[in-house]
Amino acid sequence: MDYLYDGTFEGALSGVYVMFYDRKPEEDQRLLEQQFYQADCLIPSKVVETDAVRAEKVARSIIKHFGVRGFRLVTTAYLAENKEYGTHLFRFLKHAYRIGEGAVDCLSDDAVLTLYKHYNSVTREVHRFLGFVRFSELENGVLYAQCEPTYNLLSLMVPHFTERLGNQTWVIHDTKRRMAAFFDQNTVEIKPLESVDGIRLSEWETSYRSLWQGYYDSAAIETRKSDKRQRQMMPKKYWKFLIENPQNQPNVYK
Amino acid sequence: MTTLEKLQILTDAAKYDVSCSSSGSERKAQKGGMGNAALPGICHSFTQDGRCISLLKILFTNQCIYDCAYCINRRSNDAVKRTAFTPEEVVDLVLQFYRRNYIEGLFLSSGIIRDVNYTMEQLIEVAKTLRERERFGGYIHIKGIPGSDPKLIERAGLYVDRMSINVELPTTRSLRLLAPDKKRIDMIEPMKLIREKKASYSADAGRFKHAPEFLPAGQTTQLIVGATDEADYSIIKLSEAFYGRMAMKRVYYSSYVPVGNFLAPIGAGGPMGMLREHRLYQADWLLRFYDFRADEILTPESPNLDMAIDPKTQWALRNRSFFPMEINRVSFKMLLRIPGIGNVTARRIMAARRFGPLDFDMLKKMGVVMKRAKYFILCKGKPYPGIVSFDAEHLRQRLIDAPKASQLSIFDLYSGGIQGGERNGLSL
Ligand code: SF4
Repeated sequence: MDYLYDGTFEGALSGVYVMFYDRKPEEDQRLLEQQFYQADCLIPSKVVETDAVRAEKVARSIIKHFGVRGFRLVTTAYLAENKEYGTHLFRFLKHAYRIGEGAVDCLSDDAVLTLYKHYNSVTREVHRFLGFVRFSELENGVLYAQCEPTYNLLSLMVPHFTERLGNQTWVIHDTKRRMAAFFDQNTVEIKPLESVDGIRLSEWETSYRSLWQGYYDSAAIETRKSDKRQRQMMPKKYWKFLIENPQNQPNVYK
Repeated sequence: MTTLEKLQILTDAAKYDVSCSSSGSERKAQKGGMGNAALPGICHSFTQDGRCISLLKILFTNQCIYDCAYCINRRSNDAVKRTAFTPEEVVDLVLQFYRRNYIEGLFLSSGIIRDVNYTMEQLIEVAKTLRERERFGGYIHIKGIPGSDPKLIERAGLYVDRMSINVELPTTRSLRLLAPDKKRIDMIEPMKLIREKKASYSADAGRFKHAPEFLPAGQTTQLIVGATDEADYSIIKLSEAFYGRMAMKRVYYSSYVPVGNFLAPIGAGGPMGMLREHRLYQADWLLRFYDFRADEILTPESPNLDMAIDPKTQWALRNRSFFPMEINRVSFKMLLRIPGIGNVTARRIMAARRFGPLDFDMLKKMGVVMKRAKYFILCKGKPYPGIVSFDAEHLRQRLIDAPKASQLSIFDLYSGGIQGGERNGLSL
């Protein structure tokens, strides 16, 4: 049986609720996003409604059995935006309830390991982006950063910058997902934002950019250059919005 | 001279100092201020040689009244342009870079101008302005100037996260030879002072609510390898003593890069130098995270690390009576001794073992490097398929892992410490 949900996290939890309720054998059950679903006449399918009450029941149960760590595992893994997330979540919960308390540590179990891997990819990328995000000062003093992370990191980056740049006004814009986090030195709001053109930089912005570029170039040790190592540590897909220019190519973000 | 020119000169002069890490501190943002410190440290960029850029690493000035043979800033070197920042210039760079998220904070070192105390006061002035006037909460690492007044060292410790006093060379004899202006005791004394102050301030912090913090990220030191002829054994013995007796957070090893006309032993600073540096970091790693003692890694009889094999495998080959180990039974400490099993993997194994015995397949998925581990382990009493017992030389041949020296960088080992996600493993 294929269960179809709307792609939201609440939708996935609602799906899981229905699946557990139906008590079908585990092997052939999948939970898939409705919008990408390709019907197969041999497999019956069923659309599950997203239901806040049911979703909350599942969420509470996860926290009760596997603690806040367990809940963090499933929410963070969701942000990896994997197409199979629903099915992975269902299989994880099936196995985890059987294993019992502490199931998140049972990496020898396939279903646990799968979700853990997604969790790991997301947290790793968050950690990288905490370093790679670059703010530019706009004419009105607001700090503005663009980014295009592989995973949906915005909500996970926000707490870090709220504490760190607590006395600044900033916007972090995920231009790939057209979402942005707005911070006014008080509260954060994450909402849709289309690409912005005609950004006007502050008077000093370009000077600090060239100081940073100068610093970056001087910090390299000529005789030990290694593009391979550099790319290992900082894959090219992250270069687009860096102010410093790892290999002196024309910068797209001027 | 423009700020840009100064920055270029004083960055160039500081870049051979290997430490850059911004880890170890959890300083919170001050009210109305900017900046905090992230415990695992954060890399903001990587240089073209693949090293992490975390801190704005600069010298306050590259003018120096000393004449250390291994240093480009030495008095007798006419080949470099000299300049100096003012404290305000440094403060402005730090704040403006920090708000744009270019850096985690500042690593400030300096040549000696006028005298040691005056120099130390300049560094303190920068740290003080950042913390008090600007309420800056980001990471600050400054160099402790050997021989400066203990009161200055203590004062600095109240502003900054980490301080380093570089021991420079492994022995007093080498120091006398290459850095005649410096005295070993001037380095060791402030290290002791820092250890004591840190202990007494943290005792206060336990008792009083608002006791000031003293060097939350502790102290580190650095020594140059390959400029003089000390064996690896004496170097790691020294490091062990630093970790134990001085409560040192890190010892950094810097492969000597010849500067000017000073003649170092043959081969110093070349690719072999980099490889040696790499092996020393591996041995150091064993001291810090794998519960090894220096005397288990090397002995006075065979005082140098094998360049073809990593130190942990060297130990395993010398101590074959411990192997093979049953993965499902041995203690955490013993798991750590198995080649191909690192800290994270060992922790994963310990956690997963509670739910039932593990097999080779599961081990692979959990991150065991089977290529190395298979010669040393049993699963449920059985050896890895196809593994028979090898004689020592045969086994050694199979385990040789000489990385190409040209591709080496200390960050092969370093990265784990900085990239939070990695070493924290399952830190949900
Ligand atoms: S005191 Fe420091 S800056 Fe001066 S020559 Fe010696 S190592 Fe270089």
